[in-house]
Amino acid sequence: MTDTETGMDLIALRDGVRGVLAEQASHERVKAFADAEQILDKALWDQAAGLGWTALSAPECFGGLGLGALELGVVQQELGRAVAPLPWLGTMLAVEILSHAGEGPQVAAWTEGLATGTRIGAVSMVTPEALSTDLILSSGAGGLVLNGFAGDLMDGSAADLLILLARREDGKLAWVVVEPSIDGVTPEKIGTVDRTRHLAQVRFTDVWLPSERLLAVDAERVGQALLATASLAIAADCDGGANAILELTLDYLKTRQQFGKPIGSFQALKHRCAEHKIALVASGGLLAEATDRLARGDDEALRLALAAKALCASVYFRIAEDAVQLHGGIGYTWEHPCHLYLKRARLNQQLFGGETAHLDRVAQLLLAAA
Amino acid sequence: MTLSTPTVSPARVFDPLAHKDDLTAFRAEVRAWLEAVVPADWQTRMTGADEADYVAFQRWWFAEMQKVGLATPHWPRDWGGADIGIRHQTIIFEEVARAGAPGPELFVISLYHLPATLFGHGSQAQRDRYLTGVKERGEVWCQGFSEPNAGSDLASLRTRAERRGDVYVVNGQKVWSSYGAFADYCLLLARTDFEAPKKQAGITYFILDMKAPGVTVRPIRQATGQSEFCEIFLDNVEIPVADRIGEENAGWMIAQSTLSAERGLIVFELSERMARAFDADLAEAKRTDAAWLKDDQLRREFTAAYSDMVTLRLMIRAMMQEVEADPHMGSATLPTYIKIHFSNILRRYTDFRVRIGGLAAQAQQPAVMGGGHQTGNAMHDFILSYAWSISGGTVEILKTVIAERVLGLPR
Repeated sequence: MTDTETGMDLIALRDGVRGVLAEQASHERVKAFADAEQILDKALWDQAAGLGWTALSAPECFGGLGLGALELGVVQQELGRAVAPLPWLGTMLAVEILSHAGEGPQVAAWTEGLATGTRIGAVSMVTPEALSTDLILSSGAGGLVLNGFAGDLMDGSAADLLILLARREDGKLAWVVVEPSIDGVTPEKIGTVDRTRHLAQVRFTDVWLPSERLLAVDAERVGQALLATASLAIAADCDGGANAILELTLDYLKTRQQFGKPIGSFQALKHRCAEHKIALVASGGLLAEATDRLARGDDEALRLALAAKALCASVYFRIAEDAVQLHGGIGYTWEHPCHLYLKRARLNQQLFGGETAHLDRVAQLLLAAA
Repeated sequence: MTLSTPTVSPARVFDPLAHKDDLTAFRAEVRAWLEAVVPADWQTRMTGADEADYVAFQRWWFAEMQKVGLATPHWPRDWGGADIGIRHQTIIFEEVARAGAPGPELFVISLYHLPATLFGHGSQAQRDRYLTGVKERGEVWCQGFSEPNAGSDLASLRTRAERRGDVYVVNGQKVWSSYGAFADYCLLLARTDFEAPKKQAGITYFILDMKAPGVTVRPIRQATGQSEFCEIFLDNVEIPVADRIGEENAGWMIAQSTLSAERGLIVFELSERMARAFDADLAEAKRTDAAWLKDDQLRREFTAAYSDMVTLRLMIRAMMQEVEADPHMGSATLPTYIKIHFSNILRRYTDFRVRIGGLAAQAQQPAVMGGGHQTGNAMHDFILSYAWSISGGTVEILKTVIAERVLGLPR
């Protein structure tokens, strides 16, 4: 399968990423990361950056590969399959916001930093509801002053470049770039039950910023573009994770013996696996279609992306939930990777808005077109 | 005015297939033909219609489709079809759904199952005789597979066929034959070898003339109140050897071709109609500011079901691409996923319609004969949805098939 726009061989990309992650993000390594409650697996990050994964979507003029939604989906699917602890999506979303902000030297420098992996990005978590923020951006002292609070920054404590949604004095929304190391910024890590990732909340107290930190973009439009990309990325993570945990479960059902036969021969278990398989084929088809539409800039891309996120997250959760049950006692242990998938599935259901928020927005868009 | 009388004389001669090479013109011609020929009030006239009117209407509709070559366009050219591919078929189904045209329900076996069987396994004489019969004389076929004690376990069928010279003498009972009461012929499975080591190995495939002496048909009234299904009793019925399809005892393998038809173009057309119904329901709800739109739970249920409907259409399009690449679909798994997925969505959606219909949907109303799966009569549509989850292999049997043959779980 080839991306007709970019000429990228998607199967080769998938196999390449999968091969690297099999070594660098094995279940053993992911568990070690989770046990240590780390913020960043620096070795894995450097490897990803070295292989060009962080350069994926940045424009070529800024040192990127200029690839699009199809490639982003392939990589995220593999990260989901491996339940990999890599703050890659936040970095890609930061690049996406900057891609709307022109080609000034400052934008170029930030983008290059993100593309080469010398910087890690995190962005405000947009949801399908109306865009909102607890950050106030005012003018002052020949620049800007930021006050307030940014919560729910995915992998935010690993990031050194934050792109945040703030409200200006005139009530309008704006995207602003902040380095969390400067005075007046107080970041706090919120450990999530899914230890492959975390959230961060950051408090800003009279933080002065030079005026070029305010991005010259249509804030609302960027918010919607971000929502579509993030929804599809999470949907891809779900699809990869769900396929992996279903495969693991099927292997277990074929080998685990009870009552003198493999437990996979019992019909009650077979039928559940068949249902999971059909759900995966169905949701995977919607994900592929939505990704394709987004890559082509289709009008219906946002609606399909939101629908795909709601469906893929729900399918992932159902499969991961049942995987623990189908594995029996071993699936309930800390030792076994089942719980890593279950917890990632649960977090995925909430990232960038929950299922009901996505469905409500889909309904709105359908009704507008009806 | 009786229903059997064609009520519309098209203003001009339509010929969609003459525009085969230009998809836009092809679509326009199909649309123009449908606009000219489909009676605007056919659903009203078929509401509560009796069987004679229904059959007459079906025959009229088939003849109209045949006049413009759109009854058998999917058949190979050598067999009287137009050899059209997926893009043309998609257009036809989209336009048929858009126009709310009747489906040729009475002819489903004639148009899909019979050719799927004869193309691969029939003799030249059989293809000449019977495919021509469908195409030129609108002959109706039914299927005689299931028996009272051979449903999901079809291979244990016990209808007996014994060779005596140039004929087989057949005795037994068949059940669940759709439109058997109106059929001219039947695709029949019977056991010719009771000693075969595997029960699948002793079955032979026949063409049964429904007018042959010894054939008795009795309609079964189903839960909807209608009598689409029939029982067929076979009492010393003689079938000429020339009407055997394939070799003796090779029937089970041939039957797989017949059944694969059920999961191809038929479900394609039904899913296009379902997509139309979703959009029409949404537009109607918007227009009337329906209560369910403001009920968070119901609206979200509809929206989630809408996504599932989209996934079904995407799966079917992927399947059609597979069919185009490999018409025999040897080891294809998508058709089985699709049958289960379609059954589930149909049940879920018709159930949704019943619930939003409230008490009013419980009032007895005559059904639209031949109205398909979305007639607007919510309870009727809901009950009819079982036809998909039970017939042609229950959802449960198909899940076992997926688990064992696709997922590799042990028997």
